[in-house]
Amino acid sequence: MTDVEILKQITHNVFLVRYENREFLVTKSKFKPHYGERKFSDFREWIPYRSKLAAMILNGYTVDFRPEIKILYLGAASGTTVSHLSDILEKGHIYAIEYSARPFKKFLELALERKNIIPLLKDASRPEEYAGIVEEVDFIYQDIAQKNQSEIFAKNAEFFLKKGGGGLIMVKARSIDSVAEPSEVFKRVLSELERSFSIVKYGKLDPYHKDHIFVHVEF
Amino acid sequence: MSEYKSEYKVWFGRVYEKDSELEVRKSDDLVQSFEESKSEKLDKIPFSLKEAGIRVFGSEEDYYSSLRRTAIQIAEKEIERELKGSERYLISLLKALDELDLGINLFSEKIRDLEEIKIDENTEKFRRIVRDLKKLRRDIEDEINSGVARSMPNMSEIVGGIIAARLIEKAGSLKRLSSLPASTIQILGAEKSLFKAMSRMKKGKKAKTPKHGIIFQHPFIRTLPKSLRGKMARFLASKLAIAARIDYYSGELKEDLFESVKRKYEEFREKSKAKSRK
Ligand SMILES: C[S@@+](CC[C@H](N)C(=O)[O-])C[C@H]1O[C@@H](n2cnc3c(N)ncnc32)[C@H](O)[C@@H]1O
Repeated sequence: MTDVEILKQITHNVFLVRYENREFLVTKSKFKPHYGERKFSDFREWIPYRSKLAAMILNGYTVDFRPEIKILYLGAASGTTVSHLSDILEKGHIYAIEYSARPFKKFLELALERKNIIPLLKDASRPEEYAGIVEEVDFIYQDIAQKNQSEIFAKNAEFFLKKGGGGLIMVKARSIDSVAEPSEVFKRVLSELERSFSIVKYGKLDPYHKDHIFVHVEF
Repeated sequence: MSEYKSEYKVWFGRVYEKDSELEVRKSDDLVQSFEESKSEKLDKIPFSLKEAGIRVFGSEEDYYSSLRRTAIQIAEKEIERELKGSERYLISLLKALDELDLGINLFSEKIRDLEEIKIDENTEKFRRIVRDLKKLRRDIEDEINSGVARSMPNMSEIVGGIIAARLIEKAGSLKRLSSLPASTIQILGAEKSLFKAMSRMKKGKKAKTPKHGIIFQHPFIRTLPKSLRGKMARFLASKLAIAARIDYYSGELKEDLFESVKRKYEEFREKSKAKSRK
């Protein structure tokens, strides 16, 4: 049995499938693997241990990304999650910010094959340095593991997020405060975000990412 | 151009705003205008960047394909610059840090001397200098820490920015450090005392060979009893060797590396507590 059986469509180009008697989260993709994930027929495995967005989806929460939207992505690293968003946004664009040169080098390989990725080697805490490059976007995704990440997120939203636009913030407790209880840290981050956004939903990324939460906000 | 209210440097050229009219000028050299667009303005651009761009590119498709092509071209250049420059920059900051320490010590001594002979107005001046130097020292330390977190995230997690930067300085580069065995990393920075010990031994005298180098400054070693420090240093060095390799080859954080170091430390702490209770 090598057939892929679609169990459920989650959102545009995102499916839960069964293959070789195992269930996989996948994106429909005509591109080759990017980070060691498997590829079967038209699908690319989306590994929840590698991508927090996949972990969120497998934990039962989905953000409905329309294929034509524009996303500003902060903290692209080598492009694991961006590669799947790129599969989803078939008619949209991803402005991807990363400030570390080594992972960015690998990310550039992805950007070279994908027409919807605009790679920017920039510091996400200085949106004024890319204000003349990035247009107004529908959504901001942030995964930067920084102490002041809610401040950085709000600053980017001020510059680029349209009113009513959405955002996802991945929060790692230890990178905000290495000694405090994770639940305390999360409370603090949520109240910081509440100053500029309304919180649609938040939740754990366990068991894939320990002491992390996702926060879905609206501007 | 004086009649224009504002001028915006955008990636494809300049946009001039007058009343509510926009005038868009496309640059002949997109790479240059892209690089120049780092605007100093802290404000959001009050018009649609894409629509202004489409006016000069003709279509949305051309807008995006030019944008992407230019971004990639610049990214390729910047990666090289960044990879070459960042280590050199960190090492020069480290030197500045050490020189500042010398200066701070020197001035502090001077203050003590002056206090002894009670010359007040001068001591105040020296105190101010020391305060300023200490502030500068903190700023440089922050800059080193954030630079290391950015380009060597794994080493940064395990030993912090300063120790990581010192290791790179001693090894010469991250590339070199990533090729060293753990046993060498463990004694990096202890060379001086190693030479001393060896020359004593040559002369037929007794000497202890040093066990720890720079990593000995780490609190996970310093806070352990002497009997466990060697073991902890060996463990730390073995994880650092892995960290340096990941930092050099991928530059991405591996979550469980620090966890294992912390666990080992806690294990040793427990052991030492249990011993002292006996
Ligand atoms: C956890 S990783 C991101 C993983 C990625 N989002 C994925 O799922 O494929 C965090 C990344 O954020 C980057 N980062 C942290 N602070 C940043 C900043 N101020 N500007 C740009 N990138 C930043 C780090 O260099 C690192 O590559």
